[in-house]
Amino acid sequence: MLFYVLARKTYVRNLQYRGAHLINTIASSLFGFIYMSIWAAIATDQPLGEYGSAGIVSYVAFNQCSLWVAAFLTNGLGIEQSVRTGGIALELMRPTHLFYQLMCKEWGQIAYQFVYKFLPIYALYAVVLPMYMPHSLKTWLATAVALLLAGYISICINYLIGATALWTTESRWLFWVNYAFNSLLSGFLIPLEWLPKPLAFIAHWSSYPSLNYIPTRIYLGLSSPSTLVRSVAWAVFLTICCLGLTKLMRRKVEVQGG
Amino acid sequence: MMNGLRMYGLLFRASIRSRMQYRFNFWFSSVMLAVISIVEFLLLAIVLLKFGHIKGWSLAEAGWLFSVLSLSRALYRTVANDVHNIESYLVSGELDGLLLRPIPVLSALMSRNVSFRFGEVFQGIGILAVSMSTLMREGQIGWLSIPLTVFVILSGAVLLFAIGLITATAGFWLTRITELQNITEDAARTAVQYPMSIYPRWLQGILVGIIPVGFANYMPGLFVLRGDTGWWMLPLTACIAGALFILALFVWRFGLSRYQSTGS
Repeated sequence: MLFYVLARKTYVRNLQYRGAHLINTIASSLFGFIYMSIWAAIATDQPLGEYGSAGIVSYVAFNQCSLWVAAFLTNGLGIEQSVRTGGIALELMRPTHLFYQLMCKEWGQIAYQFVYKFLPIYALYAVVLPMYMPHSLKTWLATAVALLLAGYISICINYLIGATALWTTESRWLFWVNYAFNSLLSGFLIPLEWLPKPLAFIAHWSSYPSLNYIPTRIYLGLSSPSTLVRSVAWAVFLTICCLGLTKLMRRKVEVQGG
Repeated sequence: MMNGLRMYGLLFRASIRSRMQYRFNFWFSSVMLAVISIVEFLLLAIVLLKFGHIKGWSLAEAGWLFSVLSLSRALYRTVANDVHNIESYLVSGELDGLLLRPIPVLSALMSRNVSFRFGEVFQGIGILAVSMSTLMREGQIGWLSIPLTVFVILSGAVLLFAIGLITATAGFWLTRITELQNITEDAARTAVQYPMSIYPRWLQGILVGIIPVGFANYMPGLFVLRGDTGWWMLPLTACIAGALFILALFVWRFGLSRYQSTGS
């Protein structure tokens, strides 16, 4: 129940800014066109492996949509702001676990972004591009589960980033660095098998592929749903990290005075 | 005019002194910015290393385009950081305080929260040096390209500042402009980080004719790197940057006269 109330409040609050967000959606679709143009230019005179020229366009297009579920979350789940205003002390005292509260709110954000950003961009690409569509219900379901796991893993990562605000005033930079690494190691622009070996190695041992690479390959029918085991493992591991860090946060809180 | 510049210089130095009170934060943010910028370049470099070229543009040429734009942006954001951040002034009503100061509002705004972008500058110079030395070794460009590149960077900084200022001015009517900046500054800049010839005609038209950010690197790059077009491309680039800057100042002055505080 609490989950529904908190998520719904965030969703409804976002509805107030639909107009401004529409411009944002246009900008996001433009970014997608930029990345697709890079691959389209390369595909004119080289084969692109198992993806092919049409496949790579669908790969980048779906990744661009997925960003709104798996990457563009509230910066550090808003913890930095709470530390700045002192509100974090109150939030830690509430009878609900801090991680659970913030996660509920963020699911509302993700739901809004899915409806007002993911779907419009996806629909636009489906109309103007030769976008691949899965034919089986199983693939659609597996993609949905992969996206849910991507959203959850991203929430955990943002919680860990936000929590560092208790010890440093510069945690917002970690959000942007995380975003930069995400674009490189999640397979967002370049499929992981085309990364140089050392980077591919780091990527395979990180949680980033669960955000873009795994969901998109499942969507394109290039990977089986069993690859989701890795995402589940990362979700469990990051949840343990978040719970452990919250314990540490509750021991001593220094706020910036509001 | 001279008085305004003198005051800007004074406030600029004061802003640096205040930022340097938090040395760790300053260096940490500089390093983080450099990391972000390097990762952006890595995305381009990996694609080019894997596939050799992109529509005939080599890694060294693409590196030149990327780093020239990076340096122009670092320059613009160093001298006028809070022009980009005007939204927070408009939403909080903080701009009212700047209106009361005995100096032009634009000078006051530009001199606040100065951010020296060391990370971006070092990263930009590094990539530029490697790219240009490769192109020189291959005999594609000569020594003359060095002053020409400096000229392109300076002209690009003026151009990016002008685009940023016009977008900021829209805030006098719209108040919230982050989304607009997403298109005019972020998306447009990201687009010209890559050789513009890869885009469809309509997108090239936008990047040259409507948001002319293509003149910050690609258009002058055609002449500096390849000798395409003629020498006139450089004066044309500077003229477009200068004209847009003058237009931006007029638009800013008009927008400021229409400013209504949010009262918050």
